[in-house]
Amino acid sequence: MYLVNDIIALLAANLILMQALGTSTLFIAAGSRKNLIATALCITVFTTIGSAAAYLIDSSLPVDYDYFKLLIYTLTVSVMYVSMLTALYFTARENFERYRKYIHLSAFNCAVMGTLFTISGKAADDSSYMNICSYVRGGLEAGAGFVIASLMLTVAYRKLNSSKVPASFRGFPAMLIYLGIISMAVYSLK
Amino acid sequence: MTKKQRKKLPERRLPEMNERRNSVFGGILGDNIVLSGLMVISPVIICGDNVRNAEALIYAFTAITFFSVMIASFVPKSIPYTLKVVIYAIISSLVYIPVRLAAEEYYPEAITRIGIYFPLLAVNSLIVFQTEARFFRMKKLRMMFTLIFCILGFDAVMLLTAVIRELLAYGTINSRMADADTLISGLSQPFGGFIMLGLMCGAYRWIRSAARREKDSSRSVTDVSGK
Amino acid sequence: MITLIVLETMSYFYCGTRALALGGLCVAVSLAADFLSVRAMGRRFTADDLTCTSDGLIIALMLPTVIDYKIAAIACVFAVIAAKNVFGGRRNIIFSPAAAAYVFVLTSWGKKLLAYPEPYVRSSVFEKPEKLTASASSSFNVTGKVNCSDFELLMGKFAGPAGTVSVLLLLIAAVMLIMRNDISAGAFIGTISGTGLFAYIVPVGDSRIGSLKYSIAMNMVLFAAIYIISDRRIAPERNYFAFFYGFFISAFAYTIVLTNAKENAIVIVSVLFTPVALGFKNLEKRINNAIDDEKAAEEAAGEEAPGDE
Repeated sequence: MYLVNDIIALLAANLILMQALGTSTLFIAAGSRKNLIATALCITVFTTIGSAAAYLIDSSLPVDYDYFKLLIYTLTVSVMYVSMLTALYFTARENFERYRKYIHLSAFNCAVMGTLFTISGKAADDSSYMNICSYVRGGLEAGAGFVIASLMLTVAYRKLNSSKVPASFRGFPAMLIYLGIISMAVYSLK
Repeated sequence: MTKKQRKKLPERRLPEMNERRNSVFGGILGDNIVLSGLMVISPVIICGDNVRNAEALIYAFTAITFFSVMIASFVPKSIPYTLKVVIYAIISSLVYIPVRLAAEEYYPEAITRIGIYFPLLAVNSLIVFQTEARFFRMKKLRMMFTLIFCILGFDAVMLLTAVIRELLAYGTINSRMADADTLISGLSQPFGGFIMLGLMCGAYRWIRSAARREKDSSRSVTDVSGK
Repeated sequence: MITLIVLETMSYFYCGTRALALGGLCVAVSLAADFLSVRAMGRRFTADDLTCTSDGLIIALMLPTVIDYKIAAIACVFAVIAAKNVFGGRRNIIFSPAAAAYVFVLTSWGKKLLAYPEPYVRSSVFEKPEKLTASASSSFNVTGKVNCSDFELLMGKFAGPAGTVSVLLLLIAAVMLIMRNDISAGAFIGTISGTGLFAYIVPVGDSRIGSLKYSIAMNMVLFAAIYIISDRRIAPERNYFAFFYGFFISAFAYTIVLTNAKENAIVIVSVLFTPVALGFKNLEKRINNAIDDEKAAEEAAGEEAPGDE
């Protein structure tokens, strides 16, 4: 029974439906199954590992140096970005050209940076979140939220890009309104 | 260039020059980064529900983007793409620091309300990716003007969205009471931002295609009369 | 449309001329909005486009009769333009326009939407009763009890949206529409089965039978089962897919009612489950394509065989 409430809580904290983070990336991900799987996987890896790194940064950064948080997060994501590209190059060289675009797309992304700041903000407000498990769980939830939103958009992708949709609204405008109505339903359940 | 000088130019140069001029100003109307490029939409959707927030975001976006791109334009082109992207992101994160300090002086309440979307402006796709794809292929002066108009395009959309949403959701404009009869409080929420932006994108595309159709039909009429 | 007109007539008997005025306004605004948006899309407004009037009437039946006319008009404009015509109109329906409009009004004017006049308190066109009350669904969700007899329940003598309380009329409408194949039988049966099953297994109040009875009669379950979930434009075509679609919606909605006492949750959940409906439709399309390919292959094989002989 309470699984339903957990699902609603997950949707209510969804980074796309409630915070509009990573919406542009979502539109690209929803275009095809391959894009969806690859982008969702990359985003989830970045948010999860990034959250763990964010915990280490937040626990050691003094409060007076809060202005440098963005710079340190950016450096962390940069290290992850370069590492993932290097790992891809050495492990799957023949597919490097095909798959590197997903890493490019996922790295410096509002979804990833926004997740780090959201989790950090939550921990600052409530000290019970200030532990590595909560941070990593937050990162995984963000990745899961991205996957759920991508799935929601993928099923409607063909309809939203169909020739029956007026040309002015075909594609992104229709997708925005579609996401808006789903977000409205989630909001009314909160 | 004066009108007389333009009249003396050979005809084939005029469309080229018009195209180049349009691409400089395109950031506002023809190729708006929000309505056409769908970049930097998160702050517009979440924070664009009142004019005070919009002013703070406009200031932040303008300052961070302009200075970041101008400084990044001095990064050597020979550096690999991956490292360039990292350098651009680090530059914008450094530019963020003084911009944030100044914002706390002038917009202290708005900074709290905007929350995480303030630092997120520093890693927007315009700075990190579009610089390489678009701006750095141009000469410095042209790049600067194109950048300014792109920024103005975002500012215009941000302001317009904020005015409409604040008026319809709260019945105020810039926190001053306006004579709004029925308030639609849903427009102040994220879903209201999504729907509003989607409708604005659609309207923008419709206006743009109507303007292009009119331009094409007037051009074809001119061609026929020329013959 | 006929069943909706009958429900509208019933709401006139309960609530007076204001119900008729609200219904008329919703139909007129929906028609005007649809006409203007169809013309803006460069299409001709044909008789098939008159389905917008049904959507308008459904919205009117879901709103309290005492609601502001402006709110009802805005809801209809939202339903027609943002929830329907932006996606291509009646040829490419994604959301139930009426359900989307209801959720929009709930999020923007929640308090006004959930305040109703007492049963049989009739108001004229520009009159509003002074005393408004919460619906019987709201008190059922919280206490598990309903203060009306079975007869009153069937006749709709309890506070709520005027068009959704006449249980007897709704049951007759459901049978009629299923027999005419105007609504999806699978989705309807799935919705009622899901609500009934969960209401029996995990009752809201003390009595299982009472919970079963009231769970179907309250919270717009019956009305939504007929006019929103079983809408052929949205529900899956195949009855077994439609059954599960309706079942999952009703199960989810019942759980929300049970745990959060959320009023009319089924309408909200029907909007949320739109991607599920689209997923089923995509699956049906693939199945149909596979069947067509198989038939074409068989025909081709059949044509070749006589040639070989």
